[in-house]
Amino acid sequence: MSILIKRSKSGCFNSACNVKLWRLNSTSADSALKKGEEEEEFRVLDILKKRDKMQRRVVKRTDVQPDRIDRMATNQNWGNVWPGPKTFHPSSVPLPIRQGYVPKGQAPPGKKANAELMKIPNFLHLTPPVIKSQCEALKQFCTEWPNLLNSEESIDKHYPLEIISSDYCHASPSIRNPLARVVILRVKLADLKLDKHSTDKFKRLVGDRYDPKTDLVTITADRCPTKVQNLDYVNYLLTACYHESWNFEDWEKEKTEDDMEYYDWDNNASKRSLIDWYLRIKNESKIMNDEEYKAFDISQIENGAQYKAAVSIYMNEGENPQTVQEYSIAVRKLFGLPQKKLF
Amino acid sequence: MNAIRSIWRLTPVRGVTIPNYAIRSLSANTTALPHAVEPVVPPVELDKLYKRVELEMRGIDPAVLLSYSWFCVAAASHLGIEVTKSWALRKAEKERHTLLKCVHIYKKHKVQYEIRTYFRFIHMQRLTGSTCDTYLEYIERNLPEGCALKVTKIECQKLPEHLVPPKKESEE
Repeated sequence: MSILIKRSKSGCFNSACNVKLWRLNSTSADSALKKGEEEEEFRVLDILKKRDKMQRRVVKRTDVQPDRIDRMATNQNWGNVWPGPKTFHPSSVPLPIRQGYVPKGQAPPGKKANAELMKIPNFLHLTPPVIKSQCEALKQFCTEWPNLLNSEESIDKHYPLEIISSDYCHASPSIRNPLARVVILRVKLADLKLDKHSTDKFKRLVGDRYDPKTDLVTITADRCPTKVQNLDYVNYLLTACYHESWNFEDWEKEKTEDDMEYYDWDNNASKRSLIDWYLRIKNESKIMNDEEYKAFDISQIENGAQYKAAVSIYMNEGENPQTVQEYSIAVRKLFGLPQKKLF
Repeated sequence: MNAIRSIWRLTPVRGVTIPNYAIRSLSANTTALPHAVEPVVPPVELDKLYKRVELEMRGIDPAVLLSYSWFCVAAASHLGIEVTKSWALRKAEKERHTLLKCVHIYKKHKVQYEIRTYFRFIHMQRLTGSTCDTYLEYIERNLPEGCALKVTKIECQKLPEHLVPPKKESEE
């Protein structure tokens, strides 16, 4: 068997291959062939089979239809071509889209057999004309918002109660979402018809659910498994608190000064100290009991009413520069001291 | 509109017709006719009023969320719904897990995974119940894959009629 190694090209520097052309001992069978070859060319051993690869042509599948794109008119109704959500089909979408990350300089891959384009949800079924036509069809089920309720004040005036609830739509093993059962009721305390005692009792009954800054009572219900049940429960809570706040129990008469939610100057030590000071000035100091202190009319004392107002505002509204300044003005007037100079 | 609403308020139909019928039967003085079957009128259900409807969309791809919110806003404008605000958080919420790379030992070599959730919000105001239900059904049916929707509805109602101060008992 004759083995011939093809001489490597002078251009490529292949250190591995040895440039050798040599013949082993040949058999007698192909000696006749050999004589013919010697005149023409040596047979070349093609290890990499490059020539076969170059000659092989890609066989076109005859059963594949021509692209739908080629038969599409430019004025077609796209809504009929893509009626619903569908994976991207490159032969049906007449757009030259490219998608994918490639290093700098290269063009992104085309749309045919592009996995990235097929993975991502497309909105080809919701083009603007399709949305418009679908909304036109849905308009018959919609109603208009009443014209007279065009401001927040009018809505709050006529519809003061707010019910807040959430709905969830997402992929999940179950269509139920336990968070959907939560119902929140919000109402302004000023909209409920309550008198002084009942507002105070209502605030105490409701506790943390009342926000004094916004005057909103927020009642949340999530203890029942369904939304309807929680809605009923929330309405029941509001009704119960409302009616209970109008009830006057016997033990409520035992309310002391410590339980009071606001500062009443007449019942407190400030009045007593003022009266004591006033009487000491007049050298009429006498020991009085509680009723006499309460009954004492402070209009006799000069600037007494202003002092009373300043102390009441200080204790009720809290300490801030304005209340402290008013208090200082009132005390200076009471004692007859000059006012503080403002630089 | 409020006047029309008050007219549509439920009045029990039966309570109105029966006395008339009773009077008629007394005066007619005829043999007892079987009572005509009165058509039962179902109670008129008033349309709910939603002060605000807030959509919150969560997804893994911000481009998909953007397309979907564009679709929601377009549909709202066609149906005559006021869209007050539509915005997205600048960054995603990332949930990170640091796990050991190897099944057994090699504590120093760990691998980190993260799940990114993108958010988008749309706020609408002043919807009626039927408009809201129609719109939400349309939106929810076209929710793309990989997205979740949370709808918060703030409904405004009248105060219940039974919340009135108790009447003072008449003095005896």
